[in-house]
Amino acid sequence: MNSSSHLSEDQIDDYLIGDLATGPASHLATCDPCQLRVTAAQAPIASFKAVSLAWSERRSATLPPQPVRAASPAWHRHAAWAATASAALLVGIAVPMTKHDVRSTPVAATAPLAKSLAQPDVMTASVQSAAQRQPIGSRTVAASYSSQDEQIERDNRMLQAIDRELDASVQSPADAFGLVTAGSRSPTHGRNAPVQNWD
Amino acid sequence: MQLALDANMTNVQVPAERSSSELDDIDALVRTYRPRLLRFVTFSIGDADLAESITQDCFLKAYNGRASFRGDCSVNTWLTSIALNLIRDQQRLQKFRFWRQARATAIDVNDAANFLPSHESSAEARILAREQTQQVQAALVNLSANQRAIFLMRFADDMDLSEIAQTISMPINTVKTHLHRALKAVRAQVGTR
Repeated sequence: MNSSSHLSEDQIDDYLIGDLATGPASHLATCDPCQLRVTAAQAPIASFKAVSLAWSERRSATLPPQPVRAASPAWHRHAAWAATASAALLVGIAVPMTKHDVRSTPVAATAPLAKSLAQPDVMTASVQSAAQRQPIGSRTVAASYSSQDEQIERDNRMLQAIDRELDASVQSPADAFGLVTAGSRSPTHGRNAPVQNWD
Repeated sequence: MQLALDANMTNVQVPAERSSSELDDIDALVRTYRPRLLRFVTFSIGDADLAESITQDCFLKAYNGRASFRGDCSVNTWLTSIALNLIRDQQRLQKFRFWRQARATAIDVNDAANFLPSHESSAEARILAREQTQQVQAALVNLSANQRAIFLMRFADDMDLSEIAQTISMPINTVKTHLHRALKAVRAQVGTR
């Protein structure tokens, strides 16, 4: 390629794209006018590249970094949903059954039981009112532990009272034969052991 | 969208050690690639605010899908391919207005020229750079989506033709054709042709 056959516009495009053939490339290496034309063609694109990068860097620097959420395994999400749904289902089943049991028991037999069940509310109210009467500064940790112990003791007494009421109201098959054994004393025997304070 | 992304991911193969070291550190990944990716997305769609959202989504998908990143290309190429898929999804869903309609959050690069390194350019050179940038930006508006994306990959991100072909899933000759048309339009706009 001699000096009379300078690069065409398409060849300059080829050069900018990175696809210039070997012959024109060797000419460009030695031809100053063609190099000037290529430089002139490159300049606006180079300006765009520099200015747009300055713009995006500035915007990236000024915007607060947005946290990218870490990947969470699909099974983990599904397990969480399943656990939540199971808990809701259990609560939904357990609450109506509890209410149904209380309502279906004969009134005469459940009167002492109802009285015993109503007792914790009174106790709780008295504890709450006592706590409200005390200044906030006087509520020490030791006091809270002792009130917890008292509450546990009251609960134990209440459960034992319930146990006794149930024993009195439910007839054992062995009663018909006049047999009284330690093992048949109560169907709930051993169930109402005093609650331990796990704190 | 997910199918397109997964299909793209499976076509890419990256050395395991590079993916584990570079992709596991999300902070470094964002710090390194965010400006370039934001520029690509912004000038592809013409909406700076939406570009922020897409760029963020791109990093999220890249991080969550890093296990499927096997590849034989650079991380930048892989991120660009994810961004390109997100842009295409947005275009398909028509969730944003295109270049000609975008006005509210249009890109304003006028101030950006002032942030060019002062030791590299005089005040006159910065003014010239700003004018040339505006001309190129105006030319990009009139390109097709593929021409614009390919132009940005080649001249803004310095990707070579094979990388572009891999990213955009086109034969390399098709990429050349798009580039020639885009370059011809841009050079005509800025008056160098």
